[in-house]
Amino acid sequence: MPRTIVDIHVLQTVPPSNLNRDDTGSPKTARFGGVVRARVSSQAWKRSTRTAFQSLLNTAELGVRSKRLVELLGDEIRRQDPSLTETAPQFAKDVLTAVGIKTTPPRNKKDAPEESGYLVFFSNRQVTSLAELAVEAARTGEAVNKTEARKRADTEHSVDVALFGRMVAEVTDLNVDAACQVAHAISVHAVENEYDYFTAVDDHKQEDVEEDAGAGMIGTVEFNSSTLYRYATVDVDRLQDNLGDDKAARRAVEAFARAFVLSMPTGKQNTFANRTLPDAVLVVLRDTRPINLVGAFEEAVTGQSRIAEAIQRLASHATDVHTAYVERPLAAWTFGPGERLAPLSALAERGDVDATIAALGEAVAARLA
Amino acid sequence: MTTLLLRLSAPLQSWGTSSRFTRRATDLVPSKSGIVGLLAAAQGRRRTDPLEELLSLRLAVRTEQEGRLERDFQTAARQGERTPVSVSTRHYLADAVFLAAVEGDRNLLEGLQDALRRPHFPLFLGRRSCPPVGQLDHGLHDGSAVEVLGAQPWHAAPWFRKACKRPRAFLDLVADCDPGEPRAELVRDEPRSFDPHHRQWEWRSVLRHKPIEVDNPDFRGEATSSWRDGRRDLDFLGAL
Repeated sequence: MPRTIVDIHVLQTVPPSNLNRDDTGSPKTARFGGVVRARVSSQAWKRSTRTAFQSLLNTAELGVRSKRLVELLGDEIRRQDPSLTETAPQFAKDVLTAVGIKTTPPRNKKDAPEESGYLVFFSNRQVTSLAELAVEAARTGEAVNKTEARKRADTEHSVDVALFGRMVAEVTDLNVDAACQVAHAISVHAVENEYDYFTAVDDHKQEDVEEDAGAGMIGTVEFNSSTLYRYATVDVDRLQDNLGDDKAARRAVEAFARAFVLSMPTGKQNTFANRTLPDAVLVVLRDTRPINLVGAFEEAVTGQSRIAEAIQRLASHATDVHTAYVERPLAAWTFGPGERLAPLSALAERGDVDATIAALGEAVAARLA
Repeated sequence: MTTLLLRLSAPLQSWGTSSRFTRRATDLVPSKSGIVGLLAAAQGRRRTDPLEELLSLRLAVRTEQEGRLERDFQTAARQGERTPVSVSTRHYLADAVFLAAVEGDRNLLEGLQDALRRPHFPLFLGRRSCPPVGQLDHGLHDGSAVEVLGAQPWHAAPWFRKACKRPRAFLDLVADCDPGEPRAELVRDEPRSFDPHHRQWEWRSVLRHKPIEVDNPDFRGEATSSWRDGRRDLDFLGAL
């Protein structure tokens, strides 16, 4: 099967805001190229992508679903513990009952393994972990734990974990390596944090004529504004491995691309109303290795038309890297508002968000087939 | 002896060998465990697979650009909840560049070079959020790891070399050494197993070599005698 990697590069400008702060309340920063840059940590944007992802992907629409669960689980149990060859179907049925799925013998087929009453989607990882539960039950002689079985059978959680990896350490997710990688977003230019001194008026006190004119509360909010370079990569082969199904992998890639591009962390959003959409997005499909283009901004962007310069730098750096290391992307798409996008539209097919994501899905599906 | 040269550069990178619980530290140089992990990932070994021939590699690291220590505050909350269940401090090296020399069998290193060009798993420098920038693989060279690093030009970024304002620079070198070596330091950095259920490291002996002197190709102008850079300038006292 050919290798498939999806790289997503985003240039996004945020107005004065504090998207992601550290324990002192300051916006996060990082030094790069000798100057201080604004930073949004990878975990912050990954979380907002994850939240958006869950609302975009309806797990009921996922690809391969089957009723032959006893057979599916039975085979995996046999693979994990060959001594259970005879009793595998029984243990499989026990696990499924613990999950809450009823199985009955299929009509018109004698001696065939039992089937569930409706179609269920189980990723590869889920089948493995449910089989592990059965093998353990066989070993200890105890009944299968219902809560544990239900947790492992949670499909929504499973697709999410296959793509993003575990967020809060759960023992069952210990062996999963996330299929996506999200880098820390850093600004393309030098940034200085600024302070907004605010007062909060006590209305009751204000109306009282005898009281002084002092505020009820005073404080400062730290903020900065920046044009961020964001990068994420999805290893489609690893995703397909984790999920075990082509169609599910395709839908997950499409949903991830849309969620990553359009989401934003919610830090201080009511104070600053900073929800913007990206100025430029470049999606690259490759078959060798993920390539991060942050090197384009190692020398901080200076000058007045920052966004236009950033787009120009991204395009020329991408061209330089591809030439120097003899890399030929399989396909590239770009979208973003206005004529500023011209340098990128020379490298990639320009469209809109829907067209790009649809084309990405098609390309991924073709390679997975 | 053959050596594979790697240039490790990224806006943020992190190489922890002594982290405990919620305080995740980083060393000031790349760890052997991190680099073996990177090579194993490129080859396609899962965390539960044995490391075999990768354990025979010897590592030396030269610091091209020290970078700065950054502290990242991280919380993790369950989906839909606001109260974090985990609060941790993670340290990173920002703006750092290192040259790592991996010494071993030629066939193995050629295979690793191919693997780095088409890695099986996405690569990262210490933590998953730190993808490498630029070309990782800088070729196979003859000689031991320390010899190869002694001969390499300065691989720091041009802005850093220009800012250095001196015609020559001294770069730190840290390398694997024999356990019996008198000035060896011990780091728990020799990977035995990356299995998430039972991760294991053994003690690694490292030696800080004499700093390597390199030319600064971006130096413009006169050399100034600066007493601010105490250690470097006092080297001439050795001649007295």
